[in-house]
Amino acid sequence: MNIALLLSITLLLIPPHYPQSENIDFNSPANIRSFADYLYCEKDYLRAVFEYDRLIESQINDTLMFKIGLSYSYMSDYLSAANKFDLTPPSSAFFNLSKLEWLKAKFLLKDYQRFQLSYQNQFVSENNKYQNKGQKLFNFSYLFTDETLPSKEELISPFEKTEKMEVSNFYDWKVDPPYKSSTVAGIMSAIIPGSGKVYVGEVSDGVVAFLVTGILVFLASDNFQAEHTTRAWIFTGLAALFYSGNVYGSVAAAQVHNAKITFEFNESMNIYLQKNNYFIPTYDFCK
Amino acid sequence: MSKTTKILFMLLVLFPLSVFSQTDWIKWEKADYDYRKPNNYRHRDFSYENDSSAAQYVVQTTANAYWYFVSDLDGNNCPFRPSCSAFFVESSKQTNVFQGTLMFFDRFTRDFNLYKRHEHYPKVSNGYYYDPVSLYTLDKSKIKYISPSVLIEQ
Repeated sequence: MNIALLLSITLLLIPPHYPQSENIDFNSPANIRSFADYLYCEKDYLRAVFEYDRLIESQINDTLMFKIGLSYSYMSDYLSAANKFDLTPPSSAFFNLSKLEWLKAKFLLKDYQRFQLSYQNQFVSENNKYQNKGQKLFNFSYLFTDETLPSKEELISPFEKTEKMEVSNFYDWKVDPPYKSSTVAGIMSAIIPGSGKVYVGEVSDGVVAFLVTGILVFLASDNFQAEHTTRAWIFTGLAALFYSGNVYGSVAAAQVHNAKITFEFNESMNIYLQKNNYFIPTYDFCK
Repeated sequence: MSKTTKILFMLLVLFPLSVFSQTDWIKWEKADYDYRKPNNYRHRDFSYENDSSAAQYVVQTTANAYWYFVSDLDGNNCPFRPSCSAFFVESSKQTNVFQGTLMFFDRFTRDFNLYKRHEHYPKVSNGYYYDPVSLYTLDKSKIKYISPSVLIEQ
């Protein structure tokens, strides 16, 4: 009985205490670093930053600083990323890359005027081996703004032969975008209802507008001929409202069309930049 | 104390230690979930709060009467958000009654067009097409183009 008692006590006591018995210091710098690197490679950037920050408190390390900046950048927190990259000292091996990443973060903040000023005041003056890559990003910023464009040759000059064709197309698109005139759309719809919508590419809307206005005009005219004046005037009023609404709508549709063109232009440039990683070399921290 | 009592006592003391060593049961509890599609868009704004002119009172009253006597009984059939009636009220508020009326008749014409709507308008999460007033006020600064591939969260 005593043995049974002892055995049951032993069996019941061990399980709760055994899992806690390993004596590992999870908070040692080496373990924090391993964990932070693991989180970084798993793209859990928020927690990676937290762990790297814990390490930075005890040891200043430019690789960690750089990876914190990259983590912020990957999380689209470009302001924090730019601030972190800005702290990299010139003696660091990551100085030039930090400046390039800082430039990218400034670019992605979409305040292009400030970006251009920062580039001219800070990036250019420092003898950066990635000067050409920075220049590419700087030239691209002109395509996102309404500022006067430099000449085509000047804008495409930093790009490699393979890139020049695509950048040149972007330039042409920017200089002469396929916008539609809202005045022309309005006048066209005033002459033939719906034709302004067809002009801006909304063919089905144009056809519907033509049919609706046409049917109402026919009903009004038919009722006038049959001397049903009340009905005739109701249809006349409706026809006039649909007609004027369509003229107005054609002007608005031209504006929406132009907004769509600008949106698609910016999107295609963003896709191009993402595809080319904003002209920044890729890193092998997770190999 | 007998041996049996001792054993029982020991078991009573030690078992809870094993059983309750893991205490985070709470997060595994079932959650009350509402599977109804959310519809938070205020397309039934009956208030006269921001109406500044007599004409806007007339527009709001017409819309209120339509919602109360026709739309609520007939069903929620407009494929757009804001609905055509709400679009009329909102456009009159954002511009003026004359411009709002033109915008409404343009919207009404577009409402007749059933061809490839999904290629023109982004969808709201509850399945309606999103067509905001801001696109048609003729104020370019208000136009924020949204791709039809985007799902609008309400």
